[in-house]
Amino acid sequence: MNAITIYVPIDSAARSVGADDVAEVIQTEAAKRGIEIKLVRNGTRGMLWLEPLVEVATPAGRIAYGPVTVNDVAGLFKADFLKGSPHHLSRGLTDQIPWLKSQERLTFARLGITDPLNPDDYVAHGGLAGLIKALPLSPAAIVAEVAESGLRGRGGAGFPAGIKWKTVHDAVADEKFVCCNADEGDSGTFADRMVMEDDPFMLIEGMTIAAIATGATQGYIYVRSEYPQAKLHLEKAIAIALDHKWLGDNILGSGHRFHLDVRVGAGAYVCGEETAMLESLEGKRGIVRDKPPIPALVGLWGKPTLVNNVLTLASVPVILAKGAAFYKNYGVGKSLGTQAFQLAGNIKQGGLVEKSFGVSLDELINGYGGGTHTGRPIRAVQVGGPLGSYVPAHQLTIAADYETLTSIGAIMGHGGIVVFDDTVDMARQAHFAMEFCAEESCGKCTPCRIGSTRGVEVMNHIIAGTKVPENLKLLDELCEIMATGSLCAMGGLTPLPVRSAMTHFPEDFHKHPPATQRVA
Amino acid sequence: MPKLTIDGREIEVEAGTTIIQAAELLGIEIPRFCYHERLAIAGNCRMCLVEVEKMPKPVASCAMPINEGMVVKTNTPTVKNARQGVMEFLLLNHPLDCPICDQGGECDLQDQAMAYGKDHSRCDEQKRAVDKKNFGPLIETAMTRCIQCTRCVRFANEIAGAPELGALGRGEHMEITTYLNQALDSELSGNLIDLCPVGALTNKPASFTYRSWELKSTESVDAMDALGSAIRIDTRGNQVIRILPRVNDDVNEEWLSDRSRFACDGLSLQRLDKPYVRRDGKLAATTWSDALSVLAAKVKSSMTGRMAFIAGDHSDAETLVAAKDLAAAMGTTHLDCRQDGAALEAGLRASYLFNSTIAGIEHADALLIVGSNPRIEAAVFNARVRKRWLTGKLKVAVIGPKVDLTYKYEWLGDNPSILADIAAGTHPFAATLKAAANPALILGQGAVARTDGSAVLGLARKVADTTGMVKDGWNGFNVLHTAASRVGALDLGFVPGTGGKNVAEIVAAAGKGELDVLFLLGADEIDISGLGSTFVVYIGSHGDFGAHRADVVLPGAAYTEKNATFVNTEGRVQRTRLATFPPGEAKEDWKVVAAVAEALGKALPYTTLSQVRERLSAVNPVFAQIDMVAPASWGTFGQDGSVLPQPLTSTIKTFYAVDPISRSSKTMAQCQAAFGEDQCQRKTGTHG
Ligand SMILES: Cc1cc2nc3c(=O)[nH]c(=O)nc-3n(C[C@H](O)[C@H](O)[C@H](O)COP(=O)(O)O)c2cc1C
Ligand code: SF4
Ligand code: SF4
Ligand code: FES
Repeated sequence: MNAITIYVPIDSAARSVGADDVAEVIQTEAAKRGIEIKLVRNGTRGMLWLEPLVEVATPAGRIAYGPVTVNDVAGLFKADFLKGSPHHLSRGLTDQIPWLKSQERLTFARLGITDPLNPDDYVAHGGLAGLIKALPLSPAAIVAEVAESGLRGRGGAGFPAGIKWKTVHDAVADEKFVCCNADEGDSGTFADRMVMEDDPFMLIEGMTIAAIATGATQGYIYVRSEYPQAKLHLEKAIAIALDHKWLGDNILGSGHRFHLDVRVGAGAYVCGEETAMLESLEGKRGIVRDKPPIPALVGLWGKPTLVNNVLTLASVPVILAKGAAFYKNYGVGKSLGTQAFQLAGNIKQGGLVEKSFGVSLDELINGYGGGTHTGRPIRAVQVGGPLGSYVPAHQLTIAADYETLTSIGAIMGHGGIVVFDDTVDMARQAHFAMEFCAEESCGKCTPCRIGSTRGVEVMNHIIAGTKVPENLKLLDELCEIMATGSLCAMGGLTPLPVRSAMTHFPEDFHKHPPATQRVA
Repeated sequence: MPKLTIDGREIEVEAGTTIIQAAELLGIEIPRFCYHERLAIAGNCRMCLVEVEKMPKPVASCAMPINEGMVVKTNTPTVKNARQGVMEFLLLNHPLDCPICDQGGECDLQDQAMAYGKDHSRCDEQKRAVDKKNFGPLIETAMTRCIQCTRCVRFANEIAGAPELGALGRGEHMEITTYLNQALDSELSGNLIDLCPVGALTNKPASFTYRSWELKSTESVDAMDALGSAIRIDTRGNQVIRILPRVNDDVNEEWLSDRSRFACDGLSLQRLDKPYVRRDGKLAATTWSDALSVLAAKVKSSMTGRMAFIAGDHSDAETLVAAKDLAAAMGTTHLDCRQDGAALEAGLRASYLFNSTIAGIEHADALLIVGSNPRIEAAVFNARVRKRWLTGKLKVAVIGPKVDLTYKYEWLGDNPSILADIAAGTHPFAATLKAAANPALILGQGAVARTDGSAVLGLARKVADTTGMVKDGWNGFNVLHTAASRVGALDLGFVPGTGGKNVAEIVAAAGKGELDVLFLLGADEIDISGLGSTFVVYIGSHGDFGAHRADVVLPGAAYTEKNATFVNTEGRVQRTRLATFPPGEAKEDWKVVAAVAEALGKALPYTTLSQVRERLSAVNPVFAQIDMVAPASWGTFGQDGSVLPQPLTSTIKTFYAVDPISRSSKTMAQCQAAFGEDQCQRKTGTHG
């Protein structure tokens, strides 16, 4: 009998809930029973509420069991899960789980299916097709394809990738760089991490295509220090890619040259801002640079530099492989393709939902997410990270695309959605937003540096119930100065969560706090 | 050239101009704190926000380059609001201790708060307090007043090449500090005080001694090195309180070296304010007439030709021409201005000038520095070299001391024979010079103030000739002087006449008793102890080495106390202006010389300043061309001959004590103590 393949994710979200132990116990249990198994540490499928999700390869397909704890393992063997037999943890064929099946996994097509560091697996599941398509094309043609796809930056600002690529392509310089922004600092986001841990070759492929298109010969991936496994997988994957000539001095015999290195940040949110990231990459303090000049013209060490988010670059292989026309079939209006929505916070079924732009927030949160984890009604969701607006429950019917979100004063950001139930105190959330800005402000510009600290003080007064109307007016004026005057989006967008909380939940700003909760 | 509209007024400006600069051209004032036209753009204070049509948010006008057809508004309610807001924010954290702040009265924050701020603050929170920082003996810090504009950091890092100043911490915790809180080790540190828009960085030696509105300002020219930087002398009563730079793009831009700025306490210390005569071995104060008659008696008893004159490093041209005329009247040819023994000859001007001009160095693309440490000898000029080097367009090589110059260079060694190799084309750097569009060399006094100086000078001239340094519209042969008096003295021919002795020979003759009377015109840098029993007459301002040895002391004026002419290293004729009167009975030096001449029965044919100046122009017409540099014609100079293997060094051993004024300054002594004797030997560290 052939060894049966069992999959236990190596993704750090799965590991954080015991995947390593489960994998070990499965192995000992199999040995004990004299059963030969092949244990593959795959990536996550993105269904975080089912982790650790164990899959068994059966002739019918992969059957999922989850969430599995070490205590469940013996029972699973007893129930003959190796044949895909029923068990109370069985979820049936993984592909058929509605949560997964109804998604549109273009970028994340391989997520959880492959062994992240197995190059054969990668190729077998459609990897490298984009690069192979790109190699015979002229750089300008690659840029045109990306532009045609309508791909927009996934890092937050949604800037059209094609325009940025063209700027770098057109810049004349002796050296150019591609820098991948993997600082993923937004609260409730993890899609970048999943790419790097669970399908690192895809990012390498995307960056290689970007390098060829723009004329860059050196790339850097700027990974936040909180992601050691992403760093490890990237480094291993880069070594493998070099061996396979997917990177290096003569990529797949094409004569193209591109080298890639991983750099680790030092734990500052603002280092995700692209110019602060470049400073940090140059070994300096992570301080925002003034623009212009834009990094596409004067970037890393003064050279033209393409800075894109992980997801932006990871979307490139599929666009090249299947064509711009295929990709822009997904999405709506000017928000084309798919977005990796990340469900987090107080949510029942959190995880990664890749869907076309235009899906409603309601479908994401109540459909995929299954409502709150506590079972209480939703009061607010914060879309787009710590600088995103709070959207009140009654607005959840709107479509999640750049334009629609903007029209209600919200942002898409990096696609993170954090859910709050009706116990949330929105004044405290506003306080938190200011505090976050005060903590994380790089300190360069006056409105953000001083405004955020001042904002915390004013919020303290409001929460304490002192001179509330005056302080609310002051808070609003302060937000105005931060929004108009700040150098970067850190100070510029902090007013969004604050003001949205004030607008949609004014009642929270007018109640006297219970004595026990009084803020100093 | 692109056109744009600001507040409805159209203007055409060069591409690359920023909005704030274009507005300035129109006379539209945009408030700013972090922007400074000589520093890199930071865009951090956000005081300069303006609205631009089609842009979603107000933009920082200091950072935004103009575009064709741009429509800018600087006076909308949004702009007004933003300015008020930024102002309010800055004042929130500011201690508002203007009454005890030295910046009071000349503070950008104060001024702009009046112009753009609200009339009240709505904040009752604790203000942020920040620890004092140690910036060394020259700069007082009150970092609670800092508005984080980073001008100081940018100046130190970019212009001064002092990387030890930087910012720490994020957000409100961001603080400006020096590395490990050590004193800022730069010869240009005082400029931080001018740049700091608030009272966070102030003049430490002058702390709490003045309020800015009590001071009287006199525009003048510096004499503490040979650059002739434009300065402003601020005085109260008859005391110099502080010295600040003025803008002169040709010379010092708007920077000043720390010695030029901070040695000014030395102007009122160790001063000679009365004539003295040595009696029974001791100098005793006396009257002018007594001193002059003692002197006249001595001269009468001496023989013709046994009299000599040595000019010091601060001698002005008026004094020099008077002394030269006196020497001629007395029939002596023993006169010299080259205290250090530099083998530079009077006559061919191009042979002793900084021909490319100081600003011209910004056009050089290859530079050979020979026997000089420009960072110490001419700190402000050195910043120009660094500025050019930062553009990536200047290759520098050094033959001489291997020290940190704040820019990278190729060290070729310190043997003067390398010059011969370059002249012969056998040294690789010859090719670099030849390939350059504007090759240049800098010859320091260390290269010529040696026994083989004339041969080194000759080799340097050959290098210039063989590498294409001298051509139409460009002369890259540059002598970097260290003494303010030197070029003027050479222009006047204050060198030995026929049969005359030079400085070394004068000193030797004095030592051997072959001289009867020696006049020292503020000359303190010679071997004073070797003058034997010669009768020494010291004319100068400070009780320094020369006065202590003198038999007659005649008190003169410092450069801040006279209307005098100096010629800088480029050959630029400039005039100082009297800011305070000479102390006590001291007089302008040329008048002292005139009084001596009269006492000796050889009255000079001029009695007024304008008459002396006519005489100057008669001796050399360059003195008629004030504030200008005329190209000097090229020729052959220097000697053929072999050079010695002794290493080329700089003649200046310590930045803070080079002349009677800086040696008298307590501030300079503190700097000397703080930065150590071997500051000039700072090894090339981070700069290669
Ligand atoms: C405070 C701040 C933090 C940011 N953090 C990130 C980040 O963690 N990851 C990221 O990709 N972009 C981040 N951005 C956006 C980047 O500045 C930049 O727009 C992006 O990397 C460009 O790539 P894209 O065009 O592919 O989105 C941040 C921006 C700001 C203002
Ligand atoms: S807005 Fe905040 S984070 Fe951005 S540059 Fe200004 S101080 Fe730094
Ligand atoms: S010390 Fe002065 S110059 Fe330096 S950042 Fe503070 S305010 Fe600006
Ligand atoms: S002057 Fe423009 S931002 Fe400071």
